[in-house]
Amino acid sequence: MVIFLQNLVNALQWGSFYALIALGYSMVYSILMLFNFAHGDIFMVGSYIGFGVSMGLIALASSGVVALPNWLILVLTILFSMFLTSFVGMIVERVGYRPLRDAPRASAAITGLMIGIILETGNLALLGARRVSFPSLIETTTYNVSGVFVTNKKIMIVLVSLLLALALHQFVRRTKWGMAMRAMAFDFAVVPLMGVPLNTMAALTFALGSALAAAAGILFGVAYPVLDPYMGIVFGWKAFVAAILGGRGSVMGATLAGFLLGFTEIFVAMIFPSTLRDLIAYSIILLILAIRPHGFFGEPYSARLRL
Amino acid sequence: MGGERGNGANSERGRSRFRNLWKPYSRVPLLGWFFGALVAVTLERLAGTPLAQFLGLQKIPVLFGFSVMLKNPVLIPNVILYTLIIYGVPTAVATRLCIPLANGIAASLFRFPMAVTAAAHLALLYAILHVWAEISDYRVLVLRLTLIAVMLTLSLNVINGYMGEFSCSHPGFMALGAYCASVLTIGLFVNAQLLGTASLPAALGPFLFPVALILGGLVASFGALFVAIPSFRTRGDYLAIISLAFLFIVKSLIENLEFVRGPRGLSGQPDWADLPTVFLWTVLCVWSINNFVRSTIGKALNAVRDNEMAADAMTVDTRRTKMVAFLFGAFWAGVAGGLFAHVMRYVNPGNFGIQNLAEVLAMVYFGGLNSVYGSIVGAVSISLLGEALRPLEIFKWIIIPLLLILVMIFRPTGLIAFRDLDVANLLKPKPKPDGEG
Amino acid sequence: MTSPFLQVRNMSHDFGGLRAVRDYNLEIGSGQIRGLIGPNGAGKTTVFNLITGIYKPGHGEIFLDGRKIDGLPPHRIASLGVSRTFQNLLLWRHMTVIEHVKLAHYSKIRYGLFAAFIGTPGHNREEAEIEEKAVRLLDMMGIRHLADQVVLNLPYGAQRRVEMARALATEPRILLLDEPTAGMNPEELVQIMEIIRRAHKELGLAILLIEHRMKVVMELCERIQTLDFGAVIAEGTPEEIQNNPRVIDAYLGKERAI
Repeated sequence: MVIFLQNLVNALQWGSFYALIALGYSMVYSILMLFNFAHGDIFMVGSYIGFGVSMGLIALASSGVVALPNWLILVLTILFSMFLTSFVGMIVERVGYRPLRDAPRASAAITGLMIGIILETGNLALLGARRVSFPSLIETTTYNVSGVFVTNKKIMIVLVSLLLALALHQFVRRTKWGMAMRAMAFDFAVVPLMGVPLNTMAALTFALGSALAAAAGILFGVAYPVLDPYMGIVFGWKAFVAAILGGRGSVMGATLAGFLLGFTEIFVAMIFPSTLRDLIAYSIILLILAIRPHGFFGEPYSARLRL
Repeated sequence: MGGERGNGANSERGRSRFRNLWKPYSRVPLLGWFFGALVAVTLERLAGTPLAQFLGLQKIPVLFGFSVMLKNPVLIPNVILYTLIIYGVPTAVATRLCIPLANGIAASLFRFPMAVTAAAHLALLYAILHVWAEISDYRVLVLRLTLIAVMLTLSLNVINGYMGEFSCSHPGFMALGAYCASVLTIGLFVNAQLLGTASLPAALGPFLFPVALILGGLVASFGALFVAIPSFRTRGDYLAIISLAFLFIVKSLIENLEFVRGPRGLSGQPDWADLPTVFLWTVLCVWSINNFVRSTIGKALNAVRDNEMAADAMTVDTRRTKMVAFLFGAFWAGVAGGLFAHVMRYVNPGNFGIQNLAEVLAMVYFGGLNSVYGSIVGAVSISLLGEALRPLEIFKWIIIPLLLILVMIFRPTGLIAFRDLDVANLLKPKPKPDGEG
Repeated sequence: MTSPFLQVRNMSHDFGGLRAVRDYNLEIGSGQIRGLIGPNGAGKTTVFNLITGIYKPGHGEIFLDGRKIDGLPPHRIASLGVSRTFQNLLLWRHMTVIEHVKLAHYSKIRYGLFAAFIGTPGHNREEAEIEEKAVRLLDMMGIRHLADQVVLNLPYGAQRRVEMARALATEPRILLLDEPTAGMNPEELVQIMEIIRRAHKELGLAILLIEHRMKVVMELCERIQTLDFGAVIAEGTPEEIQNNPRVIDAYLGKERAI
C-alpha cells in the first residue's frame, strides 16, 4: 500500500509535466487544427530560458542591488520565462506556420518537425555540448506521511500545474478571447468571418501553449536539474499522444490524458522491469485507442493530417 | 550556328545563341545521357588523380568536392574546375556527339519488349555507378546507403503519399526487417556467441541472403497489421499516434530482447550487401512499386485517400486497399532495413527511433508526395546533402531543416509531387522532328 | 408484374433519438425510373445511404434481384449493381478524369496483386481493356477531351459529368442519382436530362432519382414517392403527385412546428 501511494505521488508529478505540455499541444490542435511538432522543443527552450533568467536573478540578488529570497526568484523565473517563451512560440508560428496556413496539414506538421530540429541544433551550437544545471532554489524538505515520502518540491510541482491548468480553463471559459478560441475549436472557418483576426488568434494560441510548456520546463528543471538540448524530443512526442488521447477541444481532456500517461508509465515501471516500461505503457495506450478510437472527451471530429 | 537575326540587340543574339546551344540536348534520349555519364566516370577513373593533383587538389574529391570546399574555401575554384572538366564537359560533349547513335540504339531497343529495354538501361546505369564508386570505399558506402534511402522513401510514400496517411511507424518496419534478417544470417552462417555456431556452410550464404531479406520484409509486413487493422476504423490523427505507439513498442521490444543483445546492438552480419546486390533490390523495389501505383488497383489508394465514402460506393474494397498499402510499404521497409543492417554490419535500436523517423519523413516530403520521381529525388538529395555537409557538423542540422521548411512553404506537397513515372516515356528515343535538317 | 429488381421492405432507421426514416417501402423493376422528392431534411439522402450500405438499417430489409443486401458492406453492394452519385459531388480531387472512370471498374478486376506488382502481360492486357471501356464512357458523356485533367481544375458542369461517368462505369443495373441537376443552368439541365435518358435507354438501367426541380422529376419519372419527416406521404404518377394536397403541404409548409 505504501509503495502504491509512493508511486502515486511520483505519478502525479510525472503526469504534471505531461499534462502541461499536452495542454499546449491540445490548444494548438483544437483551435488551429494543426500539430506543432516543435512543441516539445519549446518545452526545452523554456527550460533553458528559465535557467538563464534564474541565473540572472540570482546574480542580481547576490550583487546586493535587490534582496530576493529564493522562493521569489523561483516565482519570478516562472513568470518571466513563461512570458519570454511565449514570444518564442509566436515567432515559430509566424515563421513556420503562418505561410503554410492554406497548405495541407501534413506539410505544416513536417515544418514543425524541422523547426524543432533547428531549435535543438541551435541550442547545441550556442551552448555547446556541456550540460547545464538548473540552480537549486528550493531546499528539499521531505515529509513522511505514514511511510510515504513526499517532498515539498513534488507538492509544489503538482499544485502549480493544477493551478495553471485551472487558470487556462477559466481563461477559456470566461474571457472574450477564450470564447473566440472555443468557437474556433468548434468551427474553424467561421470565427474570422465574425471579425476576429485569425493572425491574432494564432499568435495568442501559440503564446499560451508555449507559456505552459515553459512552466513545465522550469518545474522539470526543479525536479531534475540537469538539462540537455534533446530533453524535449521524447517528452514532446509522448505529450502529443496524450493530447490526442484527450480528445479535441477539451482542456480537461488533455490534462487528464497527460496525468493518465504519467500514471501508466510510473505504475508500469512499478510492476514490471523498467526496461519494459515503454513497451507495456504504449501497448496499453494502443489498447485504449482500439477500444475508444476518438479519445476521451471532445468532439469525435475526425481531423486528419491529410493532403 | 545558324539562324542569327540580323537586327536586334546583342542580348537577343546572345539569347538565341544560348537557345541554339541547348536545343540539340532536347533530343537526347536517356540512353544518350547515360553514355555521356559513362564517358565522364571512365575519364575520372583513368585520369582523375593526375588531373586533381594538377589542379591543386590532393586527390580525387570523393563527393563532388563538397567537403574540400567546406574545409578549404580557397580551393573552391579548383574544385569547380575539376567538376567541370571531369563531369561537366565530357558529359556534355559525349552526349552531344552521339545523339544520332544513341537515338538509333534506343529505337532498336524499343522494338524489343519493355523488359529488355529497361534491362539494358539498368545495366548501363549500374556500369556508371560501379565505375564511379570503384575509386573509393567511401563512395561505395554512400551509394549503397543512398539506394537504401530510395527504397525507404518510396515505400513510405506508398503509405503517406499515395494513401495519404501520416504514418510514423516506418522505422519500426525497418527495425523488424533489419533484426530479422540479421538474426537469420548471423544465426545460420556465422559463429556467434549468442546465436550459436553456424549451421550452414558459408558458400550457401549469398544465395540464401535474398531469402533472409524477404523473410525480414514479411515480418515487417506482419508488424504492419498492428497499424493497418486500426486504420479500418480510425484515420488521420488517431492513426498517427497509433503508428507512433507502434514505433515506441517495437523499439522497446528490441531493447528488451537479450538474444539480440538489446540496446547494445547486433553486429557481425556477413558482408553480403555489396553494390550490385543493393542496386538490384532497389531496382526491384522501384519497379514493383511503380507497377503497382500505376495500375488500377494501385489508384485505389488515391481514391481511398481523397474520398473514402465515394471509393466504397464505386466498388473499391477499402479495407483490402488499406491493408495492401501498409503491408506492401512495410515489406519494402523491412527489406531496406535488412540491407541496411548488412551494409553497416551493425544495428542497434537507436537506429530506428525518432531521428530516423524525422529523416525518412523529410525525404518523402522534400522529394514529393505520390510520386516515384519525387521519392528518388528526395532520397538522393537529402542523403547526398547529409553526406556533403558533414564537415559542417551540427550546422548540417540547421541547413537541411531550413531547406525543407523552404520547400514546404513554396511547394507544400514536395518538389515533384503527383507525377507518374511512365517507363516507356522515359526510355523512348527522341528522333528529329519532321521538317528540320 | 415481374419480381421487382430492387425491393425495400419496412425500412426504418434512427440517428440517436431521431427517427430519420420510417417504414419505407420501395419496389423498382429493372428499367424503371422512379423519383424521390420531398422538402430538405426529409430523409431522401438517408434512404440512399441505407440502400447503398453506408448505414445498416435499424429495421427492415433490402433485396436486390431477390438477394438480401442490407448489412453488406457498401463496396459489395456496389459491385452487385447498385451505383450512385452524390449530392455534394464526392470526386477524388487529385485524380484525373479517366482515373475516376477506370477505378469504378475495381470489383471486376481479374488480375491479382502479384500480377500488378510484376506487370504481367495478363495485367497489361486487362488494364488496356479497362482504359478502352473508360474512353468509350467518356465519349458518351462528351468529356473525352478532358481525360487527363485533374478534376480539381474542372468547371462544375464538367465535374458533374465526371461523377455520372464514374457511376456508370461500375456497370450498374440500378443507378441512384442524388440531385444530379443541382447548381446547373438551363442549358446544362437539358444536357444532363438527355444523358440520364440515354443511360436509361441504352444501358437499360433502373433509376431512382432525388430531385428538387419538379420539371426534371415530372418529365423523367414514371412513378414518384414523396418523403416528409422520413415517411412516404404520397406515391403515384407525376400527375397524381402534382395535385396531391399533402405534397403541396409538405413543400409549402402550413402551420408547422419544425
